[in-house]
Amino acid sequence: MKIESTNKVKKGLAEMLKGGVIMDVVNAEQAKIAEKAGAVAVMALERIPADIRADGGVARMSSVGVIQEVMDSVSIPVMAKARIGHFVEAQILDSLGIDFIDESEVLTPADEVNHINKQSFKAPFVCGATGLGEATRRIAEGASMIRTKGEAGTGNVVEAVRHMRTITNELNEVIACDENEIVALSKKFRAPLNVLEEIKEQNKLPVVNFAAGGIATPADAALMMQLGCDGVFVGSGIFKSGDPAERAEAIVIATTNYNDPKVLSEVSKDLGEPMVGINIDTLSEEEKLAKRGW
Amino acid sequence: MKVGILSFQGSFLDHSKSIHELGYESLLIKQSKDLTSVDALILPGGESTAMKKINQFSNLLTDLDLLIKDGIPTLTTCAGTILLAKEVIGGEVTIPNIDIEVTRNAYGRQTESFEGSVKFFENEDIYCFIRAPKISKILSDTVNVIAQHNDEIVGVAQKNVASLTFHPELNNDEYYLNWLNDFIKEGKNVRSF
Repeated sequence: MKIESTNKVKKGLAEMLKGGVIMDVVNAEQAKIAEKAGAVAVMALERIPADIRADGGVARMSSVGVIQEVMDSVSIPVMAKARIGHFVEAQILDSLGIDFIDESEVLTPADEVNHINKQSFKAPFVCGATGLGEATRRIAEGASMIRTKGEAGTGNVVEAVRHMRTITNELNEVIACDENEIVALSKKFRAPLNVLEEIKEQNKLPVVNFAAGGIATPADAALMMQLGCDGVFVGSGIFKSGDPAERAEAIVIATTNYNDPKVLSEVSKDLGEPMVGINIDTLSEEEKLAKRGW
Repeated sequence: MKVGILSFQGSFLDHSKSIHELGYESLLIKQSKDLTSVDALILPGGESTAMKKINQFSNLLTDLDLLIKDGIPTLTTCAGTILLAKEVIGGEVTIPNIDIEVTRNAYGRQTESFEGSVKFFENEDIYCFIRAPKISKILSDTVNVIAQHNDEIVGVAQKNVASLTFHPELNNDEYYLNWLNDFIKEGKNVRSF
């Protein structure tokens, strides 16, 4: 007996990625650097978020050529992004045999009401969230993994911290609540009741939760881990920096040893220039990617 | 009783939960300095390439290698099995301690990952295989087959090491936990099998 793509198998891959770093790459060469540096997976993109932000225009799923090139070049799992609500982009990625689909606010949304119904795909999905309501709605739609939205392409960790703290505080409120309060909490957070019940039973989010959006240094990665994240996504932070291979490695070591300041100071030495960051206050509301998704 | 779990990355917390269910203490090991006296070891699933890279920082696996060769009961799943295999197709040999050849990602990508029936000793149950390796060859007649999925060998034991390609820690079923308990306890008494 053998059944593929069950919920348990989908969530299982996310479990295996825990404690690891997932890196954005735009070609085979970068993918190999990431794999060699110890990435647990790579995200295949045509442009990294910092460039998407700089270029403007509509950001879509990457070309199939780029995704396949990356898939053929490494032995670790490969993820790719589909636009929010763009289930056909997701169907294409699924047919390529991609290992994980990121329904991502970094791309221009294709549907202003609906996210993709993620249950019907073979590949597992990861989705961004700014709070518990968003996280649980995505889980109810079939997401096997959650990540903070942060503010991608800024090299500024402040939004990821805000989102992680919000998710943790709201999660604690649910875990601590009396069973008579759970329906009210479901309304308060606009969170599906069945997912809240699952949280209460397990005393944790039922899927893995990674940090993403603005992580640029080993210290940023360790900060997110100390705040309770299960692992980190690093987008623009690596390949927009002075020495990508060295920085990638340093972030991997920092993510494992997030509680050991000695190790963190050792890997932070002589890293070269980090990416230039953007202050969130200088972004207009339309420029904030975290506002995308519902 | 204390069980050390290699915690570079991967499903180490799930294994730690299994150990707690047995009423034992677990020790999450990331560097050599974390390694105090332990009665058994677990090398979990995750990405073997990432684990090898993280190991370069402190060379913890060299210490674990000594413990394993000294006869401490050691359970490996998935990527952990790749770390201990004598030969690896599609990857590198790390600390060879079990006479098997494994093939990485042998079933294909995640879309080929599955839940399948496994005969684990005398018991049959459904377990997860996640981008799993295959035990493609057995290289010594002292290696015993302990788990099979259809006709495929998915678990072996040799001396103090038991190596699986699936994930019993995602089930924590009664049969597995009882077996794990015996495995850890027996090792403490005789340090070999």
